[in-house]
Amino acid sequence: MCRFARQRSVFIALGILAAILGAHSNLHAQEKTVDFAREIRPILAKHCYACHGPDKKEGGVRLTDFESATANGESGEATITPGKPDASELLKRIRSQEDSERMPPEGKPLTDREIDLIQTWIQEGAEFKQHWAFMPLERPTVPSPKTSAWARNPIDSFILHRLEKARLQPTQPAQARELIRRAYFNAIGVPPSEEVIDAFVANPSDQAYEQMVDELLASPQFGAKWARHWLDIVRFAETNSFERDGPKPNAWKYRDYVIRSFNADKPYSDFVREQLAGDELDQTTPESLTATGYYRLGIWDDEPADPLQARFDEYDDIVSTTGQAILGLTINCARCHDHKVDPISQKDYYQLVAFVRDVTSYGDRGNEKRNNQIDMTPNSLDDRYTQLNQLIERTEKDMRELEQKGIVKMSAEDQRATEGPERGKVIREKLKDYLDESDWKQWTSHRDQVKKAREEMTKLPPRVAVLGLARCEARPPKTHVLARGNPQAEGDVVEPDFPKLFESPKPTIAEASDQAKSAGRRKILADWMVSKENRLTARVIVNRLWQHHFGRGIQKSANNFGQMSEPPTHPELLDWLATELIRNDWNLKPIHRMIMLSSTYRMSSHAHDTSSENAELAFRKDPSNDLFWRFNMRRLSAEEIRDHVLAATGNLNLELFGPSIYPKLADEVKASQSVPGKGWSNSSESDLNKRSVYIHIKRSLIPPELANFDFPETDSSCEGRFLTTQPAQALGMLNGNFMQEQSKTWASYLLKTVPGSLEDRWAFAIRKAWGRAANASDIAALKQLHQQLKTAHGLRDEEALPFECLVILNANEFLYLD
Amino acid sequence: MTHPANSGRDAFCRRTRRQFMWQAGAGFGAVALTDMLSREGFFQGQALAADGVTPYRNPLAAKPPHFAPKAKSVIFLFMYGGPSHIDTFDYKRDMVGMDGKTVTVKTFGRGGHRNQGRIVEPRWKFKQYGECGKWVSDLFPNVGQCVDDIAFLHSMTADSPIHGSAMLMMNSGKILSGAPSIGSWVNYGLGSVNENLPGYVVMLDPSGGPISGAKNWSSGFMPATYQGTILRTKGAPILDLQPPPGVSRELQRDLLNSLKSINDEHQHSRADNSDLAARISSYELAYKMQESAPEVVNFGDESQETLDLYGVNNPKTEDFGRRCLLARRLVERGVRFIQLYSGGNHNDANWDAHGDLEKNHNLHAGATDLPIAGLLRDLKRRGLLDSTLVVWGGEFGRQPTAEYATGSGRDHNAYGFTMWMAGGGIKGGISVGTTDEIGSKAVDKPMHVKHLHATILQQLGLDPNRLSYFFSGLDQKLVGVEHIDPIHEIIA
Repeated sequence: MCRFARQRSVFIALGILAAILGAHSNLHAQEKTVDFAREIRPILAKHCYACHGPDKKEGGVRLTDFESATANGESGEATITPGKPDASELLKRIRSQEDSERMPPEGKPLTDREIDLIQTWIQEGAEFKQHWAFMPLERPTVPSPKTSAWARNPIDSFILHRLEKARLQPTQPAQARELIRRAYFNAIGVPPSEEVIDAFVANPSDQAYEQMVDELLASPQFGAKWARHWLDIVRFAETNSFERDGPKPNAWKYRDYVIRSFNADKPYSDFVREQLAGDELDQTTPESLTATGYYRLGIWDDEPADPLQARFDEYDDIVSTTGQAILGLTINCARCHDHKVDPISQKDYYQLVAFVRDVTSYGDRGNEKRNNQIDMTPNSLDDRYTQLNQLIERTEKDMRELEQKGIVKMSAEDQRATEGPERGKVIREKLKDYLDESDWKQWTSHRDQVKKAREEMTKLPPRVAVLGLARCEARPPKTHVLARGNPQAEGDVVEPDFPKLFESPKPTIAEASDQAKSAGRRKILADWMVSKENRLTARVIVNRLWQHHFGRGIQKSANNFGQMSEPPTHPELLDWLATELIRNDWNLKPIHRMIMLSSTYRMSSHAHDTSSENAELAFRKDPSNDLFWRFNMRRLSAEEIRDHVLAATGNLNLELFGPSIYPKLADEVKASQSVPGKGWSNSSESDLNKRSVYIHIKRSLIPPELANFDFPETDSSCEGRFLTTQPAQALGMLNGNFMQEQSKTWASYLLKTVPGSLEDRWAFAIRKAWGRAANASDIAALKQLHQQLKTAHGLRDEEALPFECLVILNANEFLYLD
Repeated sequence: MTHPANSGRDAFCRRTRRQFMWQAGAGFGAVALTDMLSREGFFQGQALAADGVTPYRNPLAAKPPHFAPKAKSVIFLFMYGGPSHIDTFDYKRDMVGMDGKTVTVKTFGRGGHRNQGRIVEPRWKFKQYGECGKWVSDLFPNVGQCVDDIAFLHSMTADSPIHGSAMLMMNSGKILSGAPSIGSWVNYGLGSVNENLPGYVVMLDPSGGPISGAKNWSSGFMPATYQGTILRTKGAPILDLQPPPGVSRELQRDLLNSLKSINDEHQHSRADNSDLAARISSYELAYKMQESAPEVVNFGDESQETLDLYGVNNPKTEDFGRRCLLARRLVERGVRFIQLYSGGNHNDANWDAHGDLEKNHNLHAGATDLPIAGLLRDLKRRGLLDSTLVVWGGEFGRQPTAEYATGSGRDHNAYGFTMWMAGGGIKGGISVGTTDEIGSKAVDKPMHVKHLHATILQQLGLDPNRLSYFFSGLDQKLVGVEHIDPIHEIIA
């Protein structure tokens, strides 16, 4: 169907080809003005690769590499003639005004600018470079910018170098007050106290700042903040979704594992290894087993219509999440066919499935816990539990057989009832009438036996378990390529192997021994993921650190480093940081530290600053701040907003770890469930004041405080949250139970503990909430409100104060960071 | 799958280049990529809207459709639990007299796969209605009066006969959770013309939500802006809409004035950050919503005759009647997508008739027949039916055979069931597709849930094969990656 094929031409001569080749070699010497990786490949990937990419070669045309692109298509004409745009069919076709001839055949034509870029690129020799992220990681040289005084560390050199090239300068530093709030929220997710702010504002020296950064990175709250970023990436939730949305017992222990790992600055390489193969390491520990909870966090249908399909959906969940989270690759796109844009084949996909093929299903309806609860109970206790459980299981099986004898004789309604929660009642009340005497006697004796065993169990100390890979298939079935992703359509058998684009040697994997509990493949996968040769893992994680400090990654699509993605704004910086991470033995905190100590991080976020003409110029030239000439302002996340409210009102409980908490939900919210309130519990007042990372994540029931402020969809990896602005946020912040309660308790606290006038109380509240001294206009605004509340609504001072507190907590200054 | 509805059409010549590519296995066509590109800036704007540098754009601002729409709004009457098609609209005259007979028939429901079963003869008499002479059972005597406006789809199929995944399929096109529901797709594609009300409204049964709760109206991987908003006919219509008791609207206004002056002061030195301004106006929007939402649920301006038409004054039909009337009022105010659940909770609180079929269906049809007919008539006489697409059906149908040794209960059936559409450019008085003689499976022109979804989008002026959202490296669509045609037979 390709239109290249339709154009017939006999005009090709060997002489011309020779000329082309000559031109090509000459052109290498010239300075290139167009960057293939940044400017050309994205255009080709988006407009051309669906038909002329890694997976398809319509009309004999493929635009992925120099050899293919300069070859003749089926039409006989050269797609690209290096150095000769006018002799390149590609340019002719994208420029064509004829609908029947123009490429791409459907959708919008290329823009004039895109066409110009391609023309220049061909003129300059049509050089193809491998996609930057697929090239081996090399350490770039740190550039030497002209005005070196500004640069505190290599990050600044890279940033300043780019700015200088664009004839821009970095803006001035942020004020001390802005900087300390930024550093606190970015590092630990909660605000600094007013004493800490005052001390820093009084002495904002480099030394004081450095000390503060070190304290923040050492704070146990650091993990509570950064764990949440990781939980977004690994689609963390504590229930299974679907009809029952049942709980995943001990999922919170995985959350605590992540917090602990970040606090301890566990090398990222170990962090990855533990999650992917914590059960297969040379030294397994309770911690590494807890890490395998990673595999158990996804959705799980306990009653799938097509069980085989459901199994492969589970593998897909693991491969998709792992691909995006660790490698920054959308390997999932190759489930049904070769990737359309990136060089990832369907075979690559199933080879990765083969690596994780020993991972059992989350559970089965008969025994939901066996596969996912790793028992950590001491041996003697464990034995007794096992004996009792076996006894109960055996006896209950016998009881069910006896019951079935009676049930089949019951009325349809009763039979139906025995399949639901009414079963016990029906059995108790009616079974006797439908069984003969000896069966009934046996049933009652069984019943008493079970009762006794259960009583003994309740008196035993509780079992200890974690969520993770409790059972694996040491010798899993062969893995096939599945045609169009259909598990019934088995194609070639594949072995575990790494995606071809990495050019890694094929791993040798020993057959699992008879004693093996797992296939031993995941450890090999994990080791490869964090090997020095891996081209993506280090790049992907340093980019995430950058993303959460600066509001966007150097590579904006943090889960997709493939060819479809927008190119990174500072690829050399990203690569330098990635090599730096590896040099630091994969410890993340040194990277955090370097980022936070950079001048880049310490810039003001203001665009229009009268003292800086440069800022005006930069704002005109780079309004979206691609070059980081200033810091980006940001809204706090859902968790940060809730924690900030609790911190301001003095209620925040900074206790770490533990089972999840259940914020109070309005009846209207529970009414959306088929059984209102099911699966939601109560927590003590002090637990409710814990940080938001501890909130129970039930997939079908996300509390409005989180959902309104863009808590991520729980069922697949989230690379970065949306930041919406919508009326539901305003309604919740003004009228929601949480805000109402907080403003009231805060007001009574202020009345009790802050002496002096109303103004003193407002000033105190503003200092707490906004982290600065109240100014005259703040006080004037509140005074005016107070007057109105008093005269128009007849409120006394103490009745008015909760409303004034509510206004302070709703202010943009409270929700946004400079 | 290839769409059987295509089979009557010219097999090659009328295929577009795109269709050819899809059928040739391209899967991820050029058109999808280019469409993605044109919307890409939009996504980035969304993902970074509050970063202080990306200009704010209201994601719910009205957007032009792909082509001239037939329908402006959709009312989806969701019969949760799965109504029995052979007892309602799929007349099986040959089953009369078969009751109790054991037949060989493949069924798949919550009780698993079976190869034979005891026939439960349809429990209601059928009568002919309208000029088209459609046979409708005594469960729906009032809807029966409207058949000349209705297109019946008798050969619907779905991927799962299990409530959880089947509900997700009917609402989001996928049996796995995490994808946006159809109302979110519509909101994303068209935006909202009334910014004082949510663009996508869901009204639940008083007995509770459907299973999987909020997953059924989730915006999945799209921003929460597009998710369904629960609207209640009693109490505060929307969560946190009303200030707590004792706080008057005037007082709330004063709070907002004060907040605005504080925020204006803050924004003064940050004028380039349009998100700060957007947040200020979102409070004003919330304030307007506080007025609009109670106004829409207040039936004070409806005549007695209208209230009666919906059965609002009869305890049996009051609840669903109120919601149907509210649906019409929302349509009048420009709300795009409205979903009403008949039935909630579990077991016989919805259409899931496993035990006593007669008791169950008499209850639920009794509560909905008059209100649904009232809605259709009222829309029609107000000239709104032409631009309002009404969809009726559950997540699947029910089996022809009994689930238990005794009794009339039927298990789930996703192999064949009936849904219907009316208004919004849909032909009336026609029936498309058939099931076999006992209604066990679709035989003539089997249609998948995706075709239903494609038809809904098509009527709203959205090309179902073009409306896409880039996520997880793929151009995601409500109807999936393969080309899906709308059901042309019923499009006027």
